[in-house]
Amino acid sequence: MDKIKITIDGKEIFVENGKTVLEVAAENGIEIPNLCYNKNLKIYGACGLCVVEINGAQKLFRACATAAADGMVINTDTPRVKRARKVALELIMSDHVGDCKGPCSLNCPAHTDVQGYLKQIALGNDKKAVEIIKKKIPLPASIGRVCPHPCEANCRRKFVEEPLSIAYLKAFAADNDLASPEPYKPEVAKATGKRVSIIGGGPAGLSAAYYLRLAGHTVTIYDAMPEMGGMLRYGIPEYRLPKSVLAKEIKAIEKLGVLMKNNVSIGKDISFEEIRKNSDAVLIAIGAWKGSSIRCPGEELEGVLSGIDFLREVNLGKRPDIGKNVAVVGGGNTAMDACRTAVRCGAENVYVIYRRTRAEAPAEDAEIEEAIEEGVNFKFLTNPAEIIGENGKVKEIKLQIMELGEPDDSGRRKPVPVEGKFETLEVDTVISAIGQKCSAFGLDSVELTKWGTVAANENNMLTNLEGVFAAGDATNNGASIAVDAIAEANIAAKAIDAYLSGLPLEFFKPYYSEKEVKEKDFSGKEKIQRAVMPVRTPEKRKKNFNSVILGFSEEQARNEAKRCLECGCHDFKDCRLIRYANLQPIVPEKFKGQEHKSFVERKLVTIERDQGKCILCNLCVRTCKEEAQKGILGLVGRGFETVIKPEFESPETVRFCKDCHKCADVCPTGALKILE
Amino acid sequence: MNIPQSNFKPLEPVLTEYAKIPGSLITILQKAQEIYGYLPKDVIYHIAEKVGTTPAEVMGVATFYSQFRLAPIGKYLIMACQGTACHVNGSERVSAAVSEYLGIESGETTEDGIFTLENVACLGCCSLAPVIMINGEAFGNLTPEKAVSILENLREKEEA
Amino acid sequence: MMRIVIGEGSCGIAAGALKVHKAIENALENKSKIEIGKTGCIGMCFLEPIVDIYDGKKLLRRLVRVSEEDAGAIVEAAETEDFSKIENIAISEEDEEFLSRQTRIALRHCGIIDPTSIEDYREEDGYKALKKVLETMTPEEVIEEIKISGLAGRGGAGFPTWFKWNAARQSKTEGKKYLICNADEGDPGAFMDRAVIESDPHSLIEGMLIGAYAIGAEEMIVYVRAEYPLAIKRLEKAIEQARENNLLGKNILGSGFSCEMIIKAGAGAFVCGEETALIESLEGKRGMPRIKPPFPAQRGYMDEPSNINNVETFANVAWILNNGGAAFAAMGTENSKGTKVFALTGKVKRSGLIEVPMGKTLREVIFDIGGGIRGEKEIKAVQLGGPSGGCIPKNLLDTVIDYRALAETGAIMGSGGMVVMDESTCMVGMAKFFLDFTALESCGKCVHCRIGTKRMQEILTRIVNGKGREGDIELLEELCEAVKDGALCGLGQTAPNPVLTTIKYFRNEYNAHINEHRCPAKECAAMLTYKIDEEKCRGCTLCAKKCPAKAISGEVKKPHIIDENLCVKCGACSKVCRFGAVKIL
Repeated sequence: MDKIKITIDGKEIFVENGKTVLEVAAENGIEIPNLCYNKNLKIYGACGLCVVEINGAQKLFRACATAAADGMVINTDTPRVKRARKVALELIMSDHVGDCKGPCSLNCPAHTDVQGYLKQIALGNDKKAVEIIKKKIPLPASIGRVCPHPCEANCRRKFVEEPLSIAYLKAFAADNDLASPEPYKPEVAKATGKRVSIIGGGPAGLSAAYYLRLAGHTVTIYDAMPEMGGMLRYGIPEYRLPKSVLAKEIKAIEKLGVLMKNNVSIGKDISFEEIRKNSDAVLIAIGAWKGSSIRCPGEELEGVLSGIDFLREVNLGKRPDIGKNVAVVGGGNTAMDACRTAVRCGAENVYVIYRRTRAEAPAEDAEIEEAIEEGVNFKFLTNPAEIIGENGKVKEIKLQIMELGEPDDSGRRKPVPVEGKFETLEVDTVISAIGQKCSAFGLDSVELTKWGTVAANENNMLTNLEGVFAAGDATNNGASIAVDAIAEANIAAKAIDAYLSGLPLEFFKPYYSEKEVKEKDFSGKEKIQRAVMPVRTPEKRKKNFNSVILGFSEEQARNEAKRCLECGCHDFKDCRLIRYANLQPIVPEKFKGQEHKSFVERKLVTIERDQGKCILCNLCVRTCKEEAQKGILGLVGRGFETVIKPEFESPETVRFCKDCHKCADVCPTGALKILE
Repeated sequence: MNIPQSNFKPLEPVLTEYAKIPGSLITILQKAQEIYGYLPKDVIYHIAEKVGTTPAEVMGVATFYSQFRLAPIGKYLIMACQGTACHVNGSERVSAAVSEYLGIESGETTEDGIFTLENVACLGCCSLAPVIMINGEAFGNLTPEKAVSILENLREKEEA
Repeated sequence: MMRIVIGEGSCGIAAGALKVHKAIENALENKSKIEIGKTGCIGMCFLEPIVDIYDGKKLLRRLVRVSEEDAGAIVEAAETEDFSKIENIAISEEDEEFLSRQTRIALRHCGIIDPTSIEDYREEDGYKALKKVLETMTPEEVIEEIKISGLAGRGGAGFPTWFKWNAARQSKTEGKKYLICNADEGDPGAFMDRAVIESDPHSLIEGMLIGAYAIGAEEMIVYVRAEYPLAIKRLEKAIEQARENNLLGKNILGSGFSCEMIIKAGAGAFVCGEETALIESLEGKRGMPRIKPPFPAQRGYMDEPSNINNVETFANVAWILNNGGAAFAAMGTENSKGTKVFALTGKVKRSGLIEVPMGKTLREVIFDIGGGIRGEKEIKAVQLGGPSGGCIPKNLLDTVIDYRALAETGAIMGSGGMVVMDESTCMVGMAKFFLDFTALESCGKCVHCRIGTKRMQEILTRIVNGKGREGDIELLEELCEAVKDGALCGLGQTAPNPVLTTIKYFRNEYNAHINEHRCPAKECAAMLTYKIDEEKCRGCTLCAKKCPAKAISGEVKKPHIIDENLCVKCGACSKVCRFGAVKIL
């Protein structure tokens, strides 16, 4: 057969005559994106993704329909081609109505595949579930216990009755796996010989260490504290996260070959420069360990503590003398940890001073509830005006009475003082839990933000220094929840791996299709109550630091996991559309307009079809006609209103469908689903 | 839904003449619409069977072309021209007035089954713009008021 | 022999030509020495109905805007040859310029012969070219003559006709070849093809037969818009006459060349003007364009080699063969030869069908032939090429009619739609108008056209509704470029032209809509404010009574006030006010 010479992306190749550019490219390992091409079907040319530039020609060519000709010089990835492809994808996405992932996953900072692991838990495959979770969170037993779970806040089951108990299910699966004879152990890639130093062994540092180690790098964590775990170890009280659980998960990471060095302070025991010199890349994950001051008269008195200092002392095994009457200032989770820890340290009257109401408190409501059960006295709508001392020691706290005024920028109603109204409490200790700050001691060459945190590029977590990255509470916006730190660590790990492999660091936020839903969309769903986590009684638990929660029973957990509505697309992993959509950043929102409605119909024997996800590539119609020789599917209407109709109200048509599933097999998106 | 079955008899000569000539589907549908006034669903199935294709294929063609109707039309078919010359001369206000007077949008038929309104591409009477055509008769140089008075006359005629 | 001839094209009929015909017929009764006849479209649509009085072949009087009441006087005048009583309806000298300034080739018989009479056509040298071709020329010689003439596709793209014919000629098949005429005239402001078929159907048949002979086609198909019933009727009749005269069918004129001809009516889809979509439609399918290659010349209708030209192209062919390609090429510019027909409409004084040599300027056409703008306003722009074309602003009116020169402005020659706009036409509204059309007519196959035109339409809609956003112009530009590059067929690839040209020349109007919520042409209702001038209002209460939203209040004989919050901007008050007190701001 004739051979011709063509050049694709600078590569000279000899190919048989009579092939299309798309075929030739595919044979030579160059993927040209396409959504309406199939080698068994006639050329259609609708999607417009497979465009390429051909030297000497003015316009772009569709590779699927262009015959390779001798001497042709083809470029598949020029700026012009990318631009054309980008707009094509933005247009398709602007009329692609569906959820790539469930809101649980999208709202998880680490984008954990929640639906995926819930399904495994429902099926009883805890190890498989852990494998899925650990792609994003290497400390599931710990995070499952402490995470304020934004996933649950967004779970659509709330439109039916209540969200799933996602976090505890994660902990359930992880506990089971840890207790099993052969817990999940991931593969470590072949050693790269590259050395990464991580400063700080908290959730960010441990996560980055885990993923970088799996990538085959030599990883060393330096930590100033006696044990690894950071705030999970020294900030979260034992009754919420038993240290034995955390230790097991850290041990599992260590077993992968991560080197862990404790009691090493940067700038004291070793200089930052020395660490840089000894490493190919460095990650700063030092956390935020400095409490914010109350900023009222008397804050310098003996008996005024910061929440995190207090919690650290207790977690180090000490029992600070806090007296009988303790005031904790703040409404967040640290305040809850502090007040409940104070109860467990023997305080008789514990107050929480918070300037807004319970509804505005950032602490989880369950935490507030449990604190109340344990006898904590909440003084909502009060603010410290002055701490009054006697002989340099705290004696009283004077509270300004507040009321709620107009909403502020965050949408919460702003507390304003009620003039002249005060209240005074007799207290021995005042614990301030109103925020924490980062201390970048010993990192002089690193650029900081105006808040004193390490400045890092959000897309790749790179700092101002070559090869130095940062993640967790110590970066940019400062302290947040543990899973946020892990999410940043994941980005940093990916970036460091790319950096060490000499790849570009041009990361961008992935695009996912999301659909708007309303409560009435769920009106037909059967109501199944959320599993209630068994807990120890308040009387028992306030006496010691034993875990408050007792864990789900097997039956409870499996049934709870089954409540998942499976909002995410069944085809996400194989979807060509979303894969192409993430080859470069796209912004379909700019074209937001009329959309095809999303609804599921079942008109063929074992196929379910979602109109919203259909991109009119017509592959199903053509396959049914050309391959299956049936012609049951067809296009109806014209222009934007065109839809694919599986049949129209004739039982005979359904009889003609021989269930070959060829239509669903060729669908490039999740519009057609084969029912199991 | 209980649709009385269409009488296929008047269609037989059409099918005899065209069914076996390749590429005649549009012609057959046009003739069928002349007979039935629109394309009833059972007629579509019948044509598919006789032509030797699938109902999906016929439905695809019937819904692609604006000439074909899947529901019966009113006694008076009003075609409101949306051509360029008509646009420049204010056809939008004429269409809006017609639509408001009849209480229907383009593509709809009044409840009494008397008027069907269709916005159409150029009728080719550009120098009479703006134009509407009622059952084939063109009315040109319209204003919203003139258009409505034409319809009022027709309605009076029907009510008499 | 005295003859009274009535112009009975669609325009004439719409203006009442048939009623006039009937009235004259009645007035004639038994006056046997006067003949009554009909002709097609003379092109002076603005003067319809038109009645001509001939003595034999000599035109004595052309009467315009004739009504039924004039019938008696017309008959009397024809009888007595005293035209004094009908001078009031005779065409003015000025209006005669509309015709005298044209050069008619494609329209050479329009309005002169009776389109239903093959004899009339024959008297005007009809079928002489065909006879000459069949008896004395090889197909190659025909193609060569067309090549010399420089004839290019009149459907809009301007592709050399000889090249297409030659490609189809060279294409091999064991089956048969087809010659197809595209009469799916879809531009919503153009009616050249309709007029030619209605007024001179035999010239189309003759042109097609010559083409069929040149490429070796055995079958000819005319694809006509369903909206043109009269054209279909007249072409059917002409085909029948041609068959009876051995001009169609087997062994035409004893030459051994055989060719059949059929008509297929479209069913309402603009996209079928695109040649591959047209082929799909001819095959009885959804009119969705095919991807090229293969080109129709290789595999077209029924997968056989096919050649497609539009009506006007074919209407030139017999003339070229009769007068020689060189005579045709002597007219026009370096790039564009011969003449071009336009449907001149819009805010122009004299609208209708015109034919001018290539190389004339737009200004000459609009002002010398069209008589300039109707009313007091100034010309703003002229739109060429309909939904695929663009708006050319008044400062470029000296652009010559030439494929390349027009393309350089961002517009296109197009199939012949020429719509003139004055200051009161909103250019954003114009762009929206065309995108409304294209989005509705998109076949829905390719992403760029199906979703792209829809999104353009949505953005333009929000701009004319006063909800435009900063960055919308740039977004439109980005989208337009992508659609031009990415759409599958000509419809989609050219759909952005109306948007791009209006942005190019009238960006300030877009900005005024978006940034100032103002429509400079005062056309976009959402951005208008109606206000009553206290000085002028006499308190007659008429506006208040007419207002559908009850937005106007005031006591009798005292100035009224419009509540802006209630006003629906229908303009009823302004129209009804006898004192000009309602101001539109």
